[in-house]
Amino acid sequence: MSALAGTLMNSSADLVTRVCQGDSDAFRLIFERYSRPVISFIYDMVNDRALAEELTQETFVRAFRAIHTMRAETKLSTWLFGIARNVARESLRARARANSHVDLGDKSVMDLSDNKPEPVDGLLSKELNALVRRSLAALDEDKRLVFTLKVLHQCSYEEIALITGFSIAKLKTDLHRARAEMRKRISPYAGVGYEV
Amino acid sequence: MKCEVCLELLEEYLDGELAAPDQTSVGEHLIECADCSASFATLTAEQQLFAHYDRELEVPPFLWTRVAAHTVAEKHTARLNGWLAIFAWPLASVVAVLLLAIALGVVYLISRPLQSKPVVADSNKPAPSQPRNEQPEPKREDDRKPEIVASQPKLKPRVKTTTNHAPADQSDVWSSDLAYLDMDEQDTVRHIEQTQNLLRSIRNVPTTDGDEEIDVTYDKALSRRLLNENVVLRRDAEMKAKFPTKTLLADLEPFLIDIANLPDRARAEDVRAIKERVQKTEIVAALVDYQDRGTNNR
Repeated sequence: MSALAGTLMNSSADLVTRVCQGDSDAFRLIFERYSRPVISFIYDMVNDRALAEELTQETFVRAFRAIHTMRAETKLSTWLFGIARNVARESLRARARANSHVDLGDKSVMDLSDNKPEPVDGLLSKELNALVRRSLAALDEDKRLVFTLKVLHQCSYEEIALITGFSIAKLKTDLHRARAEMRKRISPYAGVGYEV
Repeated sequence: MKCEVCLELLEEYLDGELAAPDQTSVGEHLIECADCSASFATLTAEQQLFAHYDRELEVPPFLWTRVAAHTVAEKHTARLNGWLAIFAWPLASVVAVLLLAIALGVVYLISRPLQSKPVVADSNKPAPSQPRNEQPEPKREDDRKPEIVASQPKLKPRVKTTTNHAPADQSDVWSSDLAYLDMDEQDTVRHIEQTQNLLRSIRNVPTTDGDEEIDVTYDKALSRRLLNENVVLRRDAEMKAKFPTKTLLADLEPFLIDIANLPDRARAEDVRAIKERVQKTEIVAALVDYQDRGTNNR
């Protein structure tokens, strides 16, 4: 019974309740639990380490200020990703306004490959990470968002729909296209048998 | 199922998002159809490739400090300001009365005729009404008695010592992190103790060959809670570069996962496997060793 109580004490719902009651330690626990997925998600979206840190900070500050408005049936992770998505989107829009056009296009991505496919083992390298990062950046925002949430963060379609506000049909289409684009960019590295 | 239909559903099948009947149909088709099966293998390989994507990104330790400064600390300040607002008027009145009293006192001291020497004896400076060219040495001798009287209110050193405490009090500004450090340390010690008890309890479960099922409901629930804690504490230890603690917590995790994943009524052989691993790896001894070591050695 006490063990069960302990589990409940640490559940996300309980942490939210405790934060609403003014328990600052509970908010620290929420930060500890979700800061890593949130910063990873934001980094996937904005492709800039320092900016990702700044936007993660902004996400948690907004979350703290709005936590009392969170509905009981909402999953904390979904809610936080929703805020992170808005924060990242605002930043991307602001950046797009500032730089009239940033070319994240294929050329830089393909320059990396040097037309030399390498064995799959060799893919687990900095070069592959850089390639995935750049390929992600080359996707348009909606596709990048859906792909990141599904493939890199293993969210369900339902969760993605809640986070993004997209219909299931749209997110399925975006996801399919994003996968195809990513495959196209990464296949030169993946060796024989990778191409679909 | 036709191949076109199967290929269309393949991504959703991989994502585990198909309804049960479709899931079954695609699964059956993949067993029969080599081409679709090859496509699925490719998709799976692709998924694994993305699963290995390493952003080489860590949550910087200062991020919580920054977030806290805008959230928890801000709320604390707001609460403080709220209290200040409540007491602002009475406080202002008290301060005004005090200032008035001091002003009146000063006026009285300046305006009254100079009578008492203790005032002179108290300071090295001559009193304003005394001639400036007066030699200080005879004055000291004359004023010895009053000096003793005047030195009675030598509360200054005391006052000084109390004000000297002020910087220590101001260290509260920094203490939030220190306090957390202490709290984390305490949490870790408590966590290690509870985990040790759990592992001892598992190690001592009697598992004879005749046993078919063992009720591990309590251990399982406890393990789930400890697993959650473990992840948080391990990351914390990593961020604070407490590597021995981090390693120990990382070593604990497989045990906690295994216990947490047992069914409520676990098979004796599953429990025995965990039990044997606990004994073989001497993890309990490592926990005891950790507890025995002082904070400085962690």
